[in-house]
Amino acid sequence: MSMTGASTANINLTAGMPPPRIARTRRATFFSFVGLGTIVGVWLMFVYLSEHGMRWSEWGLLAVFIPLYYQLNVGFWTALFGVWLMNRPKPDPLDLWRTLKPEDLEEDITASTAIIMPVFNEDVTRVFEGLRAIYLSLEQTGQAKNYDFFILSDSNQTSQWIEEETAWLELCRQLNAFGRIFYRKRRKPINRKSGNVSDFCRRWGKRYRYMLVLDADSLMSGGLLTSMVRIMEKNPGIGILQTFPKQIGAETLLGRVMQFAQCLYGPPFMAGLDYWQCGEANFWGHNAIIRLDPFIKNCALPALPGKEPFGGHILSHDFVEAALMRKAGYAVRLLNTNRGSYEEGPPTLVDMLKRDRRWCQGNMQHFWLLFAKGWHPMSRLNFLHGILSYTSSLLWFLFLVFSTFLAATPLPHISAQAILAEQLLLGVTIMLIFLPKVTILLDEVITGRLFKPLQGRLLTFISSMADTVVFTLMAPVLMIFHSQFVVYTVLGKGVRWVTQRRKLDGGVDWAEVFFTFWPVTTIAIVWGIIGWLVSHSFLLWISPILGALFLAIPVAILVSGRASGARFGLFTTPEETDPPSVLAVMNENLTEIKGRIHLPPELEKHHGLLQVCLDPYVNGLHVSLLRRRKNIHVSRSYLDQLALRLIHEGPQCLNAQEIKAMIHDTETVTDLHYRLWSARDHELAPFWSIAIRQYNLAASSPFTHTLAQRETAVA
Amino acid sequence: MEAVNIQFAPATGTEEEWNEAYARLADYFRSYQLHNRIRRTQLILETLRRAAVEHQKDPHRTPTAHSIEQARVMMREWLAVIYSDMNLNESQLEAAGRLGFHLSGGPARWPNFFLDKEHLPKDMAEAMRAAVRTSGPGMQVSKMTPRDMDLGIVSEVAEDTFDRLGRHPILRYSILVSIVGGVLGYLYFLLG
Repeated sequence: MSMTGASTANINLTAGMPPPRIARTRRATFFSFVGLGTIVGVWLMFVYLSEHGMRWSEWGLLAVFIPLYYQLNVGFWTALFGVWLMNRPKPDPLDLWRTLKPEDLEEDITASTAIIMPVFNEDVTRVFEGLRAIYLSLEQTGQAKNYDFFILSDSNQTSQWIEEETAWLELCRQLNAFGRIFYRKRRKPINRKSGNVSDFCRRWGKRYRYMLVLDADSLMSGGLLTSMVRIMEKNPGIGILQTFPKQIGAETLLGRVMQFAQCLYGPPFMAGLDYWQCGEANFWGHNAIIRLDPFIKNCALPALPGKEPFGGHILSHDFVEAALMRKAGYAVRLLNTNRGSYEEGPPTLVDMLKRDRRWCQGNMQHFWLLFAKGWHPMSRLNFLHGILSYTSSLLWFLFLVFSTFLAATPLPHISAQAILAEQLLLGVTIMLIFLPKVTILLDEVITGRLFKPLQGRLLTFISSMADTVVFTLMAPVLMIFHSQFVVYTVLGKGVRWVTQRRKLDGGVDWAEVFFTFWPVTTIAIVWGIIGWLVSHSFLLWISPILGALFLAIPVAILVSGRASGARFGLFTTPEETDPPSVLAVMNENLTEIKGRIHLPPELEKHHGLLQVCLDPYVNGLHVSLLRRRKNIHVSRSYLDQLALRLIHEGPQCLNAQEIKAMIHDTETVTDLHYRLWSARDHELAPFWSIAIRQYNLAASSPFTHTLAQRETAVA
Repeated sequence: MEAVNIQFAPATGTEEEWNEAYARLADYFRSYQLHNRIRRTQLILETLRRAAVEHQKDPHRTPTAHSIEQARVMMREWLAVIYSDMNLNESQLEAAGRLGFHLSGGPARWPNFFLDKEHLPKDMAEAMRAAVRTSGPGMQVSKMTPRDMDLGIVSEVAEDTFDRLGRHPILRYSILVSIVGGVLGYLYFLLG
């Protein structure tokens, strides 16, 4: 294994890679349980179905049952192994935290680390206030000098772009962080997020030993950031170290339920995953640290055969990068983290589905990689599990369809063996679904890992019961949509690269909910009628699923609302009751900004454009950051014509491409500034007349529009 | 800047036009975050005086346009003195210079010396120059090229199939329609 760039001498260069003997034993144990559970389930199903011989619909049912039951077993055993690991008195020999000795924590960090945050039309305030909180938290550790921050923007909305520039400048000014926090905007966002990161690696990668990847909604504490670098230094065999990002900041019922569930059930699942994944874990794209030298050498992504959506550019790059890193001989490890690594989740069911659509397409693309040569078998399995996480919805749907067929042509089950098999299968399946949850809940009630006071544990218990109801109502709806996504991907219907909404701006959009979910309700009604005609007992059996589908619209509205049971103490997480300092700092600043007086909506909408045209400092900043254009692809007269229209008719009369063409040109941007100020009132579009009158009243500084005003310059 | 002459009697242009130019300049200088009203008034009057001279030469342009142009000229002259040793072209000079004034805290620290090229405080000029010198980390370009990946025989077959299906959307949808039709037909058969 080559270790260019690492200066950790006198230690084992494979440190961090779990010994093969331990990894083999763990996997043999784990997959024996999974295999046994799957075989038992499949056998019971076969015994039940084959009482009168197997018909083709029964073979079909059995075929889709096998992967579904396998997946159920993987989840079940992962959770149980996790609970066992969390409770066993002997520490895990592979625990990476144990590689750090007390004296290591005293040593200065010398390794250079780039903390990168790729952004694409994200909420500028959230991005930069998050970054400020991370920066300040890192400063508090006293080890910040070897960390640089990079905001890597691919934003293609003009206002967003300008606001990012001004927020960057103001943040650097407030924190005295020029030369520590950098902003880079790509003119052409080639290959989306992975292209953005690769571009960073090509330009600056050689300067740094590690790269810590954040998402736009990530938040990490300085303590964890320094520990991660120390662990990487002590374990040069690790290529990627992934933390467990806990969800924060949820305001809607769905967001808080997901946040609570992840907080309660997440840690045992992570412990279980770490148990059997060992050195072949996955990279989830953010809140992880990467050893840059091998990453640059080995993890550039090839294009997949065929066209998008199934082929072409790899969407879910993280799994592939993890597999490539492992292929190059470096371990990919999960770091058991309880605090210090955070992210935000989608606020509504519609947003969750939009995100899932992208993830589904990304995972489906990995189909090509399943058969590629040279992967570690576990990397192949990781790809398979990723694909299964979406195709299982289609399989579940098919399972229900086959069940409907079978109900339509019933054959009486009279043999004692078949009846026993049916009852056993039902019992085992219920156990596989609910036992992990019950075990984790009991563990919490007994140990109080999340909340020590009895009241907290009781509320956790009640919340867990309530989240079962929410998930039961949502699961069939997700099944329908995920099945649809899988079919769409196979049929070649791709998805656009869109910004993920992370906060509910106004109220619930009822029209959006209705138009998204009415087909689901229709499916429930049609299926219900078929069920009624086929067999009343079958309808009763399938009614929980059909009921959930029928209620899709009210459930989507309910879970997307802000009434989340918070005032009764439901779905509470420790991050809500006792926020870590990095989160408290960010929340305080976000609250300050939220309380400000805003410009009229029309001006707010184009605020970045307004600033770059009117404000002499923002105009200067933007022109300074624009690289000189070598080839002008559009003619000067065309740009002049656009500028005239912008002045006389306002920004609403130009499309996004036209505005972008102007804002990319230094000469046009400079000219616009003077031409707008030089024009007489009657020559200006009403937008500009109002803007000129109101601009100076809106904020004391043009650069603090999106940022909190905190003069906390760090020496 | 020359001593401010508060007498202002332009030979050309209407009162309304000059009032509009005044209001525009007031807004313009406020956008520089100059909160010192006296200084702002001085600047407005000086700019208007210069604009009046220019308007006499070229009355076709409005007093507002002449005023903003004169503000720009004054800015260029002032910045040219401050950044004389930094080899900046005209566009860089204006953009970086304005930014330098903001970053050095100029609007709050030296509002009285804004556009005053003759009484430049040394510390202000140095702070403005220092603010412009800061730049990002130097690039250290590295190669990051994808390695060839052997996707195996199954992928080749699948790729061919998908390519063929991709070229024939009618075939693709026919397959889908036959599957759906088959399912519905079977259902009809069962219910019948």
